[in-house]
Amino acid sequence: MNDTTFHIPASSYLEALRRNGVDYFITVPDWVQLALHTRIEQGVAGIHQVTCCNEDQALSVSAGLRIGGRNPIVAIQNQGLFACVNSLRAIGLDAKIPIVFLIGQFGREFANFGLDPGQSRRSMVRYLEPLLDAMSVSHWRLEREQDLRFVDEAFAFALEHKRPAALLVGAPTGWN
Amino acid sequence: MNILSACDAISRARHDAVLVATMGAMNAFDRLGAGQPRINSVPLMGGAPSIGLGIALAQSAHKVIVVDGDASLLMQLGSLVTVAGQQPRNFYHFVIHNGTQFTGLSNLPLAGDSHLDFTQMAEAAGYRRVHRHDDLEVFSEALPGLLAEPGPTLVELVVESDAPVFGPDHPQQDWADLQFTRMGDEASKLANWLLRK
Repeated sequence: MNDTTFHIPASSYLEALRRNGVDYFITVPDWVQLALHTRIEQGVAGIHQVTCCNEDQALSVSAGLRIGGRNPIVAIQNQGLFACVNSLRAIGLDAKIPIVFLIGQFGREFANFGLDPGQSRRSMVRYLEPLLDAMSVSHWRLEREQDLRFVDEAFAFALEHKRPAALLVGAPTGWN
Repeated sequence: MNILSACDAISRARHDAVLVATMGAMNAFDRLGAGQPRINSVPLMGGAPSIGLGIALAQSAHKVIVVDGDASLLMQLGSLVTVAGQQPRNFYHFVIHNGTQFTGLSNLPLAGDSHLDFTQMAEAAGYRRVHRHDDLEVFSEALPGLLAEPGPTLVELVVESDAPVFGPDHPQQDWADLQFTRMGDEASKLANWLLRK
């Protein structure tokens, strides 16, 4: 298996964000998305970054931006999603404010790339999709570059249905 | 100063600033009839400053007044750092400090309250200005000037707790559904208000 297949370039992620009109990148930094974080840290015209202390704050800042007419994305890792379940319930589900996530599958063993994350031997990887399913949060796996079309789908879904949408970054973003 | 009088002073001074309230302050503003532009972080303790920050960043021409609770802020103390990191000049953060949780209902003591000083925390986090008031008259006089200064500003309001009402003769009742649905309705209305401007 060629592991590089799964390391979707940060530049391709950035193009997908631009294509969807993202103007705020709200984050608690994620190991899996280090290359994308670094690229955005260098400055991207039209995309402002807000770094938060935890994921509850990231969701809430995203909600405020959305209310104010902006188009944010929330970039966190799987542990962070586990940490902010109540905010996701309050803001994304009960208050019906669209939140689009990029969630890195931190801890996913490289041998699991291309396979079902549900078969991962690591709990933080294995529990993510069942948790999202339990909360009725729609999600899409980003495993190969062609999967970036799901970014468009997630934004369209979130805005149309006023619901959260989670894009699961399955492997470290590529440094190109 | 009690929470109702403190919120009344804020309400009188806010003009068309966006009001983001939570918990006891939300109930006080309800009693005062505070209207648009307004949203409440409910039921979500700790969310108000970050929701307010997002609105302040999105709508820099509007002042945003967050009226937080002491227990709520303690749940998301890092939000002071998140706010300060952005240095929003249109952001005013009031903290109702009464030292209790379920204030006016059961008045359970707040964690570590005897040592708490929110102004020092906010200053250390990087807020541009901090103020502390425990006298209604002095606070009311200071308020217009305080809101004319660029933020981010934190104002700690030391207030007396209302007497608790719950007990054997007055047990808890069910919550109204409104408590669980209002944030979404308010988000839609506030978005419409802001985007019409």
